[in-house]
Amino acid sequence: MASKNTAKKSLKLAPVLDLNEATALHERLLSLKGSPVAIDASAVERIGTLCAQVLMAGARSWEEDRVSFTFAKVSDAFVKTTQLIGVDIAPLMAKEI
Amino acid sequence: MKKRVLTVDDSRTIRNMLLVTLNNAGFETIQAEDGVEGLEVLETANPDVIVTDINMPRLDGFGFIEGVRRNDRYRAVPILVLTTESDAEKKNRARQAGATGWIVKPFDPTKLIDAIERVTA
Amino acid sequence: MDMNEIKEIFFQECEEQLAELESGLLRLNDGDRDPETVNAVFRAVHSIKGGAGAFGLDDLVSFAHVFETTLDCVRSNRLEPNQDVLKVMLKSADVLADLTNAARDGGSVDEARSRQLIKELEALANGELPQPAVSEPAAKPAPPAAPVAAPAPAPVVNEEGFQPVVFSFDDFEASEPPAIEPSTFEILFRPKSELYAKGNDATLLLRDLSRLGEMSIHCDMDELPALGSMNPEAAYFAWKISLKTDKGEEAIRSVFEFAEWDCELDVALAGGDHTGTGEEPPMQPVPFDLSLLDDDVPASSGAAEDEEQVVAQREARDDAVSAAATASNVLQMAQTARASAESNRSAAPTSSAAQAAAQQAASAATPTIRVDLDRVDRLINLVGELVINQAMLSQSVIENDTNGTSSINMGLEELQQLTREIQDSVMAIRAQPVKPVFQRMSRIVREIADMTGKSVRLVTEGENTEVDKTVIDKLAEPLTHMIRNAVDHGLETPEKRVAAGKNPEGTVRLTAKHRSGRIVIELADDGAGINREKVRQKAIDNDLIAADANLSDEEIDNLIFHAGFSTADKISDISGRGVGMDVVKRSIQALGGRINISSKPGQGSVFTMSLPLTLAVLDGMVVTVANQTLVVPLTAIVETLQPEASAIHSFGASQRLISIRNSFCPLVDVGRILNFRAIQANPVDGVALLVESEGGGQRALMVDAIQGQRQVVIKSLEANYTHVPGIAAATILGDGRVALILDVDAIVAASRGQTLKPEMSLAAAG
Repeated sequence: MASKNTAKKSLKLAPVLDLNEATALHERLLSLKGSPVAIDASAVERIGTLCAQVLMAGARSWEEDRVSFTFAKVSDAFVKTTQLIGVDIAPLMAKEI
Repeated sequence: MKKRVLTVDDSRTIRNMLLVTLNNAGFETIQAEDGVEGLEVLETANPDVIVTDINMPRLDGFGFIEGVRRNDRYRAVPILVLTTESDAEKKNRARQAGATGWIVKPFDPTKLIDAIERVTA
Repeated sequence: MDMNEIKEIFFQECEEQLAELESGLLRLNDGDRDPETVNAVFRAVHSIKGGAGAFGLDDLVSFAHVFETTLDCVRSNRLEPNQDVLKVMLKSADVLADLTNAARDGGSVDEARSRQLIKELEALANGELPQPAVSEPAAKPAPPAAPVAAPAPAPVVNEEGFQPVVFSFDDFEASEPPAIEPSTFEILFRPKSELYAKGNDATLLLRDLSRLGEMSIHCDMDELPALGSMNPEAAYFAWKISLKTDKGEEAIRSVFEFAEWDCELDVALAGGDHTGTGEEPPMQPVPFDLSLLDDDVPASSGAAEDEEQVVAQREARDDAVSAAATASNVLQMAQTARASAESNRSAAPTSSAAQAAAQQAASAATPTIRVDLDRVDRLINLVGELVINQAMLSQSVIENDTNGTSSINMGLEELQQLTREIQDSVMAIRAQPVKPVFQRMSRIVREIADMTGKSVRLVTEGENTEVDKTVIDKLAEPLTHMIRNAVDHGLETPEKRVAAGKNPEGTVRLTAKHRSGRIVIELADDGAGINREKVRQKAIDNDLIAADANLSDEEIDNLIFHAGFSTADKISDISGRGVGMDVVKRSIQALGGRINISSKPGQGSVFTMSLPLTLAVLDGMVVTVANQTLVVPLTAIVETLQPEASAIHSFGASQRLISIRNSFCPLVDVGRILNFRAIQANPVDGVALLVESEGGGQRALMVDAIQGQRQVVIKSLEANYTHVPGIAAATILGDGRVALILDVDAIVAASRGQTLKPEMSLAAAG
């Protein structure tokens, strides 16, 4: 996957990604559109379905734009929950240079 | 970290039973006596889950739930309705007001804790 | 706090709820149609049921449940609370109170009565009105066989499926079928947005589901729109789950119990050995124990393990967003509360409830705290000490300060005033309205009215008049007896009343008010009044008065307070339980009170009781007996007199009588009775206190001298020393001396052993 030569942006997720956080996360992702983004999910203690939806919609959107969208760091809880709900984040784990 | 439970019930008996049950189960418990007080203490209680009665003076459980759901900061908090009303109509009204789940009285400690576990992460 | 303590709290709460219930029903009976009154009544029963359920008090739960169901009909305007309906409900409230008491004290209840009322309540709930006076056109006539065929009162199971089960473990967890063969279920789960809006989350449901067995999951993201056009709070994900479990379909469905309405759910047994068809989307197995996962090794993914961590990224400046919500929260909550109050007003069944709620909020605005009675008593005790100390200090200053104008003296006066105020304020803590006792009386009236077939209306006034709690506690018994008496003997039967041109419904009026530092309670009936001829004849028959005695109307009326006096021709079941008005009088006197009666033939009788506001202080006459200082309660003293030698008549070896206005009264030397001296003092050297004894007769108590009257603080002797016969309590006087307070009744009783029999003395006196 080729990435554009723009500066990579980092997005650090809040510890609690619940109903209240979904809109905020949505807005922040939209504001980063066009730039490669590395999501830092290392602080996540809890992620609900709504935020997972936003993240996956983001991943798709970035893919369409052919811009890099990766999970740079993930917490245990983040991995467990996404796996539980059948959301496969493995292909999005950071692997490129 | 201890989960924080806000209980709203006008009966002293039930309040005490809730307190004992929740404290024994390792929760931090904050209590209010009716819907109005429940909304007042919401901020300081900062609950992870709310357990509320339906029949209360001043502001009943339905009104209280609606109040919580309209509060920008606490609208996502799961709310369990604790009531002897087991008929579908009451459940339905509670659900429409925004209740997450319910516990039919007389509650036993296991059921209460179980229901709380079910709606909290 | 343990369960026993909570149970104690429960019973306290029951008492409050029962009072609330009764007063609410009485308000409805008076035509109050405020929805909040009905709500409060409903809540009272509901709350008792809730607590009773938790303690497994099945009888109480069953009855409360039926009662509540009927009240709910009133609440939802399906049943008009007319007089007939309320009659049943008031009786039900009485039964509920009985059941509560039985649950607490282990007594028994009148099962036939509660069974009967359950029937009546159920009939009301089924739309059967107790009388043909139909005010509800929509009331559906229930088939006669339908309501309660079985006489058995207990397990009431109604359409709600409600059963009084203690700590029922009948939910899915407890009733898990023990051994079902593991089978595989295909589950389709598509949440709606409402599910998230209600604080639930698919992640929680899937977590609980995964705990039931081995789960494979496929997340269907087909509905997920583009980032720009999505609503972040809408539901897009759906799941197809394959679950191998031995818990059965019920267990699966109960995971979704709370979400049932807010999702599409399909649970089906997978055919044969579950091998997905070709078109099936790939499933991700979810390990049973998620904690096995390590966050560095996303197990099943097969993704690059050697992922390169992008370290040292600049910290994103992202704190701002999540903090946004906090700022305007306080304002928001106020608005929320107001908004919900408004929405309440518009909601159909609780329509004007908000308005009433506002009123109630206003009336509930006075904050209260619950305090252990022991603490208050301790405080009262300490204030008592303070009063005594202050008096002692004053006394010694006065003794040492001859000119009496020093600043110390003035300061002391202020101290005295302050002490008085503190004392009054502390007494006010114990003061409570007589309301609970008055409320209890309405039940007594109902019961007696039922038993006698009389129609009675109880009117209470001044029920917020306050008096010391100890007085209130002791007031119920004499009042109960008097009320019984008033309905049983005072009021006529409806026929007689009609014949006399009166309203067939009799009225009993119970009034409380404060008058000159005492509480005055009046009990008036509009019955026939005292039949003086009958009373007089009875008194003559019983040798209470001489046949030719010349008594005023008032004197005749007051004869009913004599021991063993009953005017009822035959002892009735109600008032005649071997207790007469003499017992009432004695208990009122024991409270430091007085009682008398006035009666008008054909118009009724009025009993007037005057009681001290507190039992902690007492107005007493300070007297000297054999160089000892004693206090005689002022309420016991009728008059004081200086005996003339000519008025003293010796009788037998040591008995003496004093003649007072043509009647004779036994003379009792207090000093002799209390063993202060070996031989009787000469009555002419002392003062006689004419006191009224419990039998209604009078005694002249001889003391040496009267020092004066004053209010004294009562100190219990039993608590500090031991019970002394003839002495009620002690006090400490201003000069620091301990003074004993005389128990007049005990002195009189003791005097009987060495004097004439009271009946004979009375006969002689007549």
